[in-house]
Amino acid sequence: MPIDWEPIWLTLRLASITTVLLLLIGVPLASWLALSQFRLKPVVEAIISLPLVLPPSVVGFYLLLTFSPASGFGAWLLHHLNLQLVFSFEGLVVASLLYSLPFMVHPVQAGLENLPVSWREAAYTLGQSPSRTLWRVLLPNCKPALLTGIVLTFAHTIGEFGLVLMIGGNLPGQTRVASIAIYDEVELLHFQTAHAYAALLLALSFAILLLVYFVNKRVTV
Amino acid sequence: MIEIDLTMPRLFTEGPGELKMRIALESGSLTVLTGPSGAGKTTLLRLLAGLEMPHSGRIAVDDRVWLDTQQRINLPPQKRSIGYVFQDTALFPNMTVQEAIQFAAPKGDQDFVNQLIDITGLRAFMNQKPAQLSGGQRQRVALARALVRRPQVLLLDEPFAALDSQASETLRQVLLALHQLWKTTTLLVSHHSQDTRVLANRVIRVVQGQVEQDEQCLNDELPSIVEPITNISYQEEHRQWIIQTATTQLRSTNPAWGQRRVGDLIQVSSSI
Repeated sequence: MPIDWEPIWLTLRLASITTVLLLLIGVPLASWLALSQFRLKPVVEAIISLPLVLPPSVVGFYLLLTFSPASGFGAWLLHHLNLQLVFSFEGLVVASLLYSLPFMVHPVQAGLENLPVSWREAAYTLGQSPSRTLWRVLLPNCKPALLTGIVLTFAHTIGEFGLVLMIGGNLPGQTRVASIAIYDEVELLHFQTAHAYAALLLALSFAILLLVYFVNKRVTV
Repeated sequence: MIEIDLTMPRLFTEGPGELKMRIALESGSLTVLTGPSGAGKTTLLRLLAGLEMPHSGRIAVDDRVWLDTQQRINLPPQKRSIGYVFQDTALFPNMTVQEAIQFAAPKGDQDFVNQLIDITGLRAFMNQKPAQLSGGQRQRVALARALVRRPQVLLLDEPFAALDSQASETLRQVLLALHQLWKTTTLLVSHHSQDTRVLANRVIRVVQGQVEQDEQCLNDELPSIVEPITNISYQEEHRQWIIQTATTQLRSTNPAWGQRRVGDLIQVSSSI
C-alpha cells in the first residue's frame, strides 16, 4: 500500500514551527527564571511544568474547552481575530507550544543556573546590562543546554498524540499528524502502512538525536 | 578619597557575627587586605562593587556617593567605576583575549587598549581563548579587562592564590607597573606576605568582619625615605592615629602609634 506523505510533512512542519516559536518564547522565559529573584517564581515554574505530569488528554481537554467557540476566549478569538483554534493547524501549534514549553525551558534554565555566577557579576562590573550579559556571555556559553532544549522540543512535538487528537481531531492535511496516522492505520489493520510511518518516525528521531549529540560533543569540547 | 562605612550581619568561620568596616582609602593608594579565610575580605570587595547589599552603610568615592542606605542610594555595579578581578578570573570561555578586552572597552579608546595589552604582555595571546591560557596569563587578561574602562577603584580578590611563584612574580610586576602608571586606587585581597612587602602602601588586617590592624606598609626590601614626625593626632571618627611629616600623612589604627613623639623618625615611603 503506498504511503501518504502528508502526515509526515505535517508532523515536521508542526515540530519545526513549535521549536522556532519556543526558542523565541522559552529562552527569555528560562533566562528570567534562572536569573531573577522573583518571590512567586515557584508558582510560574509549577505552571510551566504541569504538562510533564498531566496526561496529554487532560491538557487537551482543558485546551479544547478554552479554545472552543462556545467559550468566552474561543468566541473572542473567532470574533476579533477570525481565528479558530479547535480542529485547525493553528490550534495544534498553540497547544504544542503550551505542551512542549517545559522541554525548552527546563534545559535552558538548568544550563544558565549551572554557569558560574562570577561570569554574570564580571559582566556587570564591566558595565554591561543584564540583557547584553545574557546574549553576549551567558547564552553563548550554554550552547549544549540550548541544543538539548531544541531537540527535546522537536522530538516531543513529533511524538504528540493525545493532545493532538483532543484539539485537532483527525483532519487529513490539517491535523492528521504521523502519530494519528499510525493509530488510524492500526485500527484499519493496515499494519504495513503503520509500520512504514512508525519506522520513518523512529529513523527520523534517531537521526536528529544522533546529530544533536555529535554537535553537542563538538561545542562542549 | 574612598570612604567606606558598612555594617552587615554575616556568618564567619568562627560563627555568626557582624561585618563592621570603617575605612578611608587615599586616592591612588594600593591597599592589601589580609586576614584569615572567612574573615569578610571578599565580602568587603563585593560590597564595594555593588554585588552585595549591606544592612546599612555608606560608600563615597571622591565626591560621588555610591551607596547610602539612609538616603536609599545604591548604584548598581554597572554605574560604579570599578574594575574587579575575581579569584577564578571569571573570563568568558566564548571570547578570545582580544574579544574579552574589547567587550568592555569604551569605543574610540584603541590606543589605551593597545597600551594595556602591551603592559600586561598579552599581545602574543590575543587570539587565544581562556582554556588555552595558563593561570598567570588568565589573571593578566582579567587584570587588563578590569582596567580597560579606566575605573576609579580596582578590586583584586586573591589574584595570586592559584599561581606558581614565577607567575605570581610576573603578575606582581605587571600590577606594580600599571599602578605606577595610572595610580588607580587599588584594594587587593591576599594571603601572600610577599604581596604586602612589594606592593602595598598600606596593609589592613581583617578578622571576623572588623579591622584588627591598619598599618602603612614599611617596605623592607626597597630603599626607604625617613622623615621626622611633625604632628601626631588621633581621629575619633575613624579611630586611627594620623602622623604628619613634612611630605606625608600616615594613618594607622595601631595603638602603638600613640607612643610616638614629634621629632621621632618614621619611614614614609619607598623608592617605588
